[in-house]
Amino acid sequence: MSEQSTPGTGTRSDVMISLRDVSKRYSGADAEAVRPLSIDIERGEFLVLVGPSGCGKTTTLRMINRLVEPSGGEIWVDGKNATRVDADELRRHIGYVIQQVGLLPHMTIGENVGLVPKLLGWGKDRIRQRVTELLDLVGLDPDTYRSRYPKQLSGGQQQRVGVARALAADPPVMLMDEPFGAIDPITRGHLQDEFLKLQARIRKTIVFVTHDIDEALRLGDRIAIFDENARLAQLATPLEILTNPADDFVRSFIGDGAALRRLALLRVGDLPAVPGVGIRDGVEVEPDETVSAVLEKVLAAGSDSAVVRGRGSLTVQDMLLATAVRDESAVAT
Amino acid sequence: MTRVLTTRGDAAPRSSASAGTTGDAPRSSPIVPLVAALLVAGTLIYIKTADLDAIETRSLAIGELLVRLAEHVQLVAVSTVVVVALGVPLGILLSRQAAGPLQAPVLAVANAGQAIPSIGILVLLALLYDVGFAMAVVSLVVYALLPVLRNTMVGLRQVDRSIIDAARGMGMGSRRILFTVELPLAVPVMLAGIRIALILNVGVATLATYTNAGGLGDLIERGIVFYRMPILLSGCLLTIALALLVDWLAGVAESRLRPRGL
Ligand SMILES: Nc1ncnc2c1ncn2[C@@H]1O[C@H](COP(=O)(O)OP(=O)(O)OP(=O)(O)O)[C@@H](O)[C@H]1O
Ligand SMILES: [Mg+2]
Repeated sequence: MSEQSTPGTGTRSDVMISLRDVSKRYSGADAEAVRPLSIDIERGEFLVLVGPSGCGKTTTLRMINRLVEPSGGEIWVDGKNATRVDADELRRHIGYVIQQVGLLPHMTIGENVGLVPKLLGWGKDRIRQRVTELLDLVGLDPDTYRSRYPKQLSGGQQQRVGVARALAADPPVMLMDEPFGAIDPITRGHLQDEFLKLQARIRKTIVFVTHDIDEALRLGDRIAIFDENARLAQLATPLEILTNPADDFVRSFIGDGAALRRLALLRVGDLPAVPGVGIRDGVEVEPDETVSAVLEKVLAAGSDSAVVRGRGSLTVQDMLLATAVRDESAVAT
Repeated sequence: MTRVLTTRGDAAPRSSASAGTTGDAPRSSPIVPLVAALLVAGTLIYIKTADLDAIETRSLAIGELLVRLAEHVQLVAVSTVVVVALGVPLGILLSRQAAGPLQAPVLAVANAGQAIPSIGILVLLALLYDVGFAMAVVSLVVYALLPVLRNTMVGLRQVDRSIIDAARGMGMGSRRILFTVELPLAVPVMLAGIRIALILNVGVATLATYTNAGGLGDLIERGIVFYRMPILLSGCLLTIALALLVDWLAGVAESRLRPRGL
């Protein structure tokens, strides 16, 4: 939001969160929970932190809103040194969603969602209007749910409220710690879909923690994979991670099926199509559709090729082969 | 230390919140006050109809009974107010992180206060200082402090950490979290402690007679000293009726004051 310049630090305005050699050693622990870590997160980027239990994901996340004080390094949020500003004030401008949701059980859904705006001193009417807007946004009917209490909602509904609450004051940054971790797989899938759609509209800068590589691949613009020793093993886009895993740890963390997973990430527009041959009986698709979606359509139509608008045609064979390129290393586990 | 005192003998306070979402006052059945009223009525009818001698008649005159009752209620009310005024803030202070090392010793003292029989404290105070209302209140407070103190601490400690964490993450300061999150969520357990203190006080206040502070204990003691069954019996029955009524009222207050949504 505020474009405060930071002389001598070289912060560019399109970097929203900058971790600079940030580390954490809890008192009494002999190993660092977070090893000196530097990541720049762009405005509007969806960064996922993923790794096995205890690798320091939560600690990293909580250092950004200073629920954990870093032992070393600096964190810059929105052009300000987060380690120097008032922690409460900082947190009111950073959405925070946790697995346990943490709704206040003695307050209604409306009151819960309106908490941060109230802390920021908004008027009653403005808060009420904002609550209505947000409940709509996360797919809960405001009239039905506003005056309910948290225990009257299902886990999935509670987490929607958790997301709405974090978005209440329209913070530019959202921190999410396994927000869908305690929710059954089907509902989790729905929530992930909805959340992606939501993110496409609101374009927040999101740092998202999960230990589920599939969730990471599905949601992240970029993924940071940590190993058990809190070492950053790879920081790259989902496609890059599937295509070029940095080392054996990343390879084993991805598990089997990297090639098939890539189908869900590659866009047909990126594959070399045979140009000009647009009149064959292929299924018409858009270039930004994923290969797996297109395969699905083609197979469902009983066809054997797709026509990518403005590009040309692709056979099922083309699609499968193109995705397998450079995959020998990933297959040999 | 983690044992929670609740008047219902529940294992944990949260389990009592499992009931439906609306019917929040299952305890306020009118049977208890009815029994109390019957006890009082029975006692009065007995006094009116029995064949009483001079001592009995004087001790059991309506005016006399009302004075004793008023004294008793006053003892209970004042000492409970003092217990709450001391126990709740002390419990809050002790449950703050910084006060960690003080917890054990203070709880030990409060434990001792409840272990020592009130009659001992009463007589000791009377011997060392003076007799009267204030001394009686002191000994009641010493005796009833523990449940309020301990339930305040336990009530605060059992608040779900993730709720406090979320509140902090939203930018609520620790004072605000104490007053708008922790205390409201601790209220049911704290109220249970206060209710216990109240009931303890109703019973122990019968001993106030030994420090000349009056109360219904006067009747009981006089009944024993003069060997007058009617006086003794009336004192006992009225004390029981008062205890039942107070407990019932406390129960009603407990379910009224419990925050909605819990
Ligand atoms: N408050 C704390 N005090 C001391 N050590 C801690 C504290 N919080 C976390 N740790 C330790 O720091 C390390 C990293 O913990 P962290 O919670 O960040 O891991 P995580 O990656 O989020 O794990 P998980 O997937 O299980 O949530 C662990 O070894 C943990 O035991
Ligand atoms: Mg974690």
